[in-house]
Amino acid sequence: MEDTDDSRPSARLLIQVGRNAGWWVGLLAVNALVLAAAELALPAVLGRTLDDLLGGGAPGRWLALFVVLVVVLSLGEALEDLGTGAATARSTAWLRHTSLAHLMSVGWRTAQRFPPGDLVARLVGNTAEAGSVGPDVIRGAAALIPAVGGTIALALIDPWLCVTFLVGLPVMMALLWAFARDASELAEGYLTIQGKIAGRLVQALSGARTIAAAGTAERETKRVLGPLATLHDYGMRMWRAQARITAQDLLLLSGLEIAVLAVGGWQLSRGRISPGELLAASQYVALGAALSSVIPDLTRFIRSRAAARRVGEVLDLSAVGYGNAVLPSAGGTVEFRKVSVRVGERVILDRLNLVIPAGSLVAVVGRTGAGKSLLAGLAGRLVDPDDGVVLLDGVQLIQLTQRELRGAVGYGFERPVLIGGTLAEAISFGAETPDADEVMSAARAARADAFIRHLPAGYQTPLDEAPMSGGEMQRMGLARAFAHTGRVLILDDVAASLDTVTEHEISRALTGAMADRTRILVAHRASTAARADQVIWLDEGRVRAQAPHRELWADPDYRGLFEAGRPEPDSVPVLAALGSDSAAVR
Amino acid sequence: MTVTEARSAKETGRHRSGSDSTARTVLIASLRERKSQLWRLAAWSLLEALPALLSGILVALAVDEGFLAGRLGIGFGWLGLLAISVALGAWGTHETLSRLAAVVEPFRDDLVTGVVTGALSSSTQRGARPPSGDVARLTQQVEIVREAYAAVLIVVQQFVVVTVGALIGLVALAPAVLPLVLPPLAVALVLFTLLLQRLANQQRASILADENIAETAATVGAGLRDIAACGGQELAHASVGSHIDNARTATTAVSRLTAFATLTVAFGGWVPLILILGFGSWLLDQGATTGVLLGAATYVLQGLQPALQTLVDGLSGPGLWLMVTLRRIVETGGAGEESSDGASTAAGTDGDSAGGYDVALSGITFGYGASAAPVVRDLDLTIPQGDHLAIVGPSGAGKSTLAGLMTGLLEPRAGQVSIGGIGLLGRSARELAAQRVLIPQEAYVFAGTLHENLSYLRPDVSDADLHEAVHLLGAEALVTRLGGFAAEIDPAPLSAGERQLLTLVRAYVCAAPVVILDEATCHLDPVAEARVEHAFADRPGTLIVIAHRMSSAARAQRILVLDGVSVMVGEHDDLLTRSPLYRDLVGHWKVPAQAAPPR
Repeated sequence: MEDTDDSRPSARLLIQVGRNAGWWVGLLAVNALVLAAAELALPAVLGRTLDDLLGGGAPGRWLALFVVLVVVLSLGEALEDLGTGAATARSTAWLRHTSLAHLMSVGWRTAQRFPPGDLVARLVGNTAEAGSVGPDVIRGAAALIPAVGGTIALALIDPWLCVTFLVGLPVMMALLWAFARDASELAEGYLTIQGKIAGRLVQALSGARTIAAAGTAERETKRVLGPLATLHDYGMRMWRAQARITAQDLLLLSGLEIAVLAVGGWQLSRGRISPGELLAASQYVALGAALSSVIPDLTRFIRSRAAARRVGEVLDLSAVGYGNAVLPSAGGTVEFRKVSVRVGERVILDRLNLVIPAGSLVAVVGRTGAGKSLLAGLAGRLVDPDDGVVLLDGVQLIQLTQRELRGAVGYGFERPVLIGGTLAEAISFGAETPDADEVMSAARAARADAFIRHLPAGYQTPLDEAPMSGGEMQRMGLARAFAHTGRVLILDDVAASLDTVTEHEISRALTGAMADRTRILVAHRASTAARADQVIWLDEGRVRAQAPHRELWADPDYRGLFEAGRPEPDSVPVLAALGSDSAAVR
Repeated sequence: MTVTEARSAKETGRHRSGSDSTARTVLIASLRERKSQLWRLAAWSLLEALPALLSGILVALAVDEGFLAGRLGIGFGWLGLLAISVALGAWGTHETLSRLAAVVEPFRDDLVTGVVTGALSSSTQRGARPPSGDVARLTQQVEIVREAYAAVLIVVQQFVVVTVGALIGLVALAPAVLPLVLPPLAVALVLFTLLLQRLANQQRASILADENIAETAATVGAGLRDIAACGGQELAHASVGSHIDNARTATTAVSRLTAFATLTVAFGGWVPLILILGFGSWLLDQGATTGVLLGAATYVLQGLQPALQTLVDGLSGPGLWLMVTLRRIVETGGAGEESSDGASTAAGTDGDSAGGYDVALSGITFGYGASAAPVVRDLDLTIPQGDHLAIVGPSGAGKSTLAGLMTGLLEPRAGQVSIGGIGLLGRSARELAAQRVLIPQEAYVFAGTLHENLSYLRPDVSDADLHEAVHLLGAEALVTRLGGFAAEIDPAPLSAGERQLLTLVRAYVCAAPVVILDEATCHLDPVAEARVEHAFADRPGTLIVIAHRMSSAARAQRILVLDGVSVMVGEHDDLLTRSPLYRDLVGHWKVPAQAAPPR
């Protein structure tokens, strides 16, 4: 990760987040001030009411004022709860929508910088942490007022009371902090052991098949639970430490209050303060000691800032630029002019020139790492070249609008990721939504219709209730591609994961219903290459040959390409994700 | 009703019915088990209640008899007594918390054991689906339950202790005050109880919305390539967006209900004090002194009010987390059914197959799910003992399924699988393990000593046998690098190929005669793979290899080509002529209308 100056951008984002909570933030701020004032006034008014009472008068103005303050305080606290929740919810939703929308506009290759799990954590978890910043700041700042004001009010009642409090408070806080620090070491130890058990369980689950075959589930359970006894010990020690801390906290706080009571009682006996003021004083001590609640607010704010920085990193990714050109009405010629692509130090494609005639079926072959998947990605602008241009019917891909581009080029991956609520939605997923008939005919052409109809709810089966084999997934992806394809269709070799019969039927669809489109196939099998009009042989970053399969078959190097059987996964992750070994879906 | 609405409705319905009562049963059962600890806790609570009981009285005495009467010493004396009662109360708190540990820790132990047992047994049973990510999070959720459980116990205990103590103290101090204090408190508690159920429902909805966001966001995150290729950015955004909005609504609803809860606390906490002050002159007429009024105010302000606040905070926070998380644990992992390990109920077959170890499949039909199209249909196959068979075919075709059927991990819809003439059905996993071993692609290496990993399938293996296996499979360099058999190893820094090599050594030394490698050499380079397969072929017994590279097929005695549901078995040259798919797999191609140069 780059070392950015993270303080200012995250602060800016936090301010934006706060502003987006709308008028709640202003309301909460005003409410917080009113609450603080009421909290400060309440003990004094309580004292006066008591003195009033003891003085023999009927409950009068002071009692009425006391009731009003209590009502204000209660309503204010309720409003604080409501406002905090509503403001946080609104900010969080805004932040999530914004970062998600931005992620959608970012190039796929750029987004690869963050692994998928990390992206989700930022979009879901970090946004929630950053979203509570507005109410947190208000509450934290406002909490200082009663604490400081309470101390001042104590002084106003009697300076000796304030002195007692101020002498005792730092001692109390220092001791509290020391106790908490001792406990945190135990907590760390506990978490480490708990993490060990969690890690062992995850490990064992990853080997579920081995364990099932070996019949060692019981042994594995014992092994995973091995650290449990130690965990129990740590837990007991943590509780004992907690018990000690709680008892000590209680002693210290009560001690402080009793000390103030004692001094107050002394002043009471001298007639310096009234009974009501004594009552008020004990309340002000409680207010002053509540200063310690600032600490959790502070830690939450620090977390919010860190979370905002992480979300900001997603928002800083550069969006893909589109032009506003449109394509001529018919065509399908794909042209590469001096296209170069580098991944890190490696030059994968080196000033490649290529013309794919409209309506032709071409197979792209080459050794692993030759750039077949990259070529397929470039042809449909999943990847932008570092140098050179890719044109479709004479128009540069980067100048097309997004709608025009996606309407013209379709992809069928070997391991597609299906998105949508139902199977029908998964097939119609895209910029334009085809209607039900088009969906069904696309599914039929992709030989997915049969197994879809086998399911109880058919096309309306929810996606997560329809477990599919690798071949069925690929056919769903093909159906999706067929339902949206304009003039260019780019496919992974279907032969690799389908049985012969199905593969032949899909090939028939490719050469039949789809015949007027340009079809680019990444081929691994000789039979696939044989069916193509032309084979594009990639080698050393260039097109080594572009000719029909039977002509190339004479070359022993060419024959050697097909002996491998199963393609080896590419060692470069971006390319592997482009091609047939997308780790995400496995 | 959209599909998502229907799904969430079904889910909330499921939540309410079964797992609700199970979660409650688990909690009640755990409390009943620790009855003796709870009694001890109650006893120490009496000591803890001391300051709550005495504070008001002692303050009243200090003020009346001491400070207001000008007798400073007596005033300080009563306050000193208060300090002592506080110290005793703190001691009581210390002891109750320690007793609490004795209730909470065993509960956590039981829960973790149940979760781990349930997770492992459900994911290793016959026909089990691969475990979801939820299961792995269970241990974290147990921790949430542990803390919430403790918090709820503390909060409830504190509330009872302080409230009862304060009320008794009040009665002792000034019984006339009781009808002013008790009714508002009772009303507040009743209102809060009514509120709690609705709060729980909203909290559950909020958590569900959060989980849906995470799920859909994960799909989007994993599908960025497809979203870009299809141009489906708007649809993808909408799929997550609806849940984002749901979460916002749910969170706002929760805060609305929390606001009402705050109002009930305010009612129960302040109204008694207002009433005391309002009826103050009547109380004074009844004979109450300044000290009594101060004492009563102390009981309300230092006792009842904070206790009520703590109770409401505790139940609406940790209390809800406890119930919701416990319910999730019960739903996802179960509170632990004991792993059956396939205890054999059928006729006690010892597995001493006098009939050797031929693997025979007859009439096997299998499909995932009742309505799915079959992956294999009416398959008949015999693998005589000592055979070396390679299975090839397109990747989605079901080769792993075949391995699952042969090992007895999958149950066929029809037909029978037998090893050595004895059917696999009804035999315990341990019996089966004595006859066949399966090495899957995902090599399972666990944190422990290298020896533990290698002797996993045969704990009594001799060092000499291990050394021989390591040598034959070409793993010497790896073993030396790791530090020998006694060294502790961690699977994370090992490469996939190294992990596979270790599991292959493990399979080599085990006693089972039938070895099935399910693409178990896919991360080894071709030379290492060849060495491993030769070693296994020379090992006495049957070898079945699900081939990752076609070179595996060339090394085998017989080859099985799996093409959809159709199966062809033969030798290499034979299949080259009979099976076009096999030819394609091997990389042959006949130039049509021209003599093909065969290889």
